[in-house]
Amino acid sequence: MMDIWEATMSRDDTKPRSLAALIAWPIVIALIAAGLLGGFAGHNQAALDSGGTPLPAWAGPLAAVAFAIFALAIYARRYRSTWQGLSPRKQRYWLTLGFCAVIGGIVGGWLVADQPTGRGLSETLASGSLSPGFAVGASLLWIAGLAIGMVLYHRSIDDHEERAWLWACVAGWYAFIFPAPAWWVLHRAALAPPVDIMTLFAFSLIVNAIVWLWLKFR
Amino acid sequence: MNNKLKVLRAMRNWSQAELADRLDVSRQAVNAIETGKYDPSLPLAFKLARLFEMPIEEIFDDGYMGGDNVA
Repeated sequence: MMDIWEATMSRDDTKPRSLAALIAWPIVIALIAAGLLGGFAGHNQAALDSGGTPLPAWAGPLAAVAFAIFALAIYARRYRSTWQGLSPRKQRYWLTLGFCAVIGGIVGGWLVADQPTGRGLSETLASGSLSPGFAVGASLLWIAGLAIGMVLYHRSIDDHEERAWLWACVAGWYAFIFPAPAWWVLHRAALAPPVDIMTLFAFSLIVNAIVWLWLKFR
Repeated sequence: MNNKLKVLRAMRNWSQAELADRLDVSRQAVNAIETGKYDPSLPLAFKLARLFEMPIEEIFDDGYMGGDNVA
């Protein structure tokens, strides 16, 4: 382990590196850590199924956390100068996106861990029951995380992105106020199923994302 | 609104990313201004004017040809 560390640390850490790599590496590290967790869980499940002895329950999380700490330490060392080369606004911007990704990762990971074995994807994401602990925790993380994330986001975006965001929000709002009353009255006349608020929420969010991406990157 | 941003940038041999760094905005913002898809805010227009050391109206042209009606 120390040999790998020394070999990595002896490289030129002052060399400027690309912003894309600065952003991509934490995602790669998180995916590998999640893969380690899944690999250990799969191994234990296979061992139980075949009547063998599974590894201790803490082995997977320990391996994932140890890998993540080691990899992030190398990442921090090698990308420090690239990070310091960014303006304070850009640092705030990427920290905000990183913060939102961490909140999303926690909620997503917790959602998967909260499911009983054998549950399918659509049931996991939409229709399956959830434990009260997860429901309360995810709600708090969503509300607090969104509030903090939005404050940070609006303090770090430039004029162009602010305009894209404002128009995207208007489009998202229209995507809600146009169909919602129509669906509601159609349902009251027994011409449509009951209004599904999450379908409307998802539609509004998709329209918001499309307009934001179009105005930001066209 | 028309503007001379692309010409002024080219005269200094700056890439869009370099100009974006100097203005502390995203590269997409510079591209959107250059292609006329986005008119910058007044603070950003002043920032551009200071960076290129010229009045705002020499960088941006709103097509006004003079006359009584300022609109």
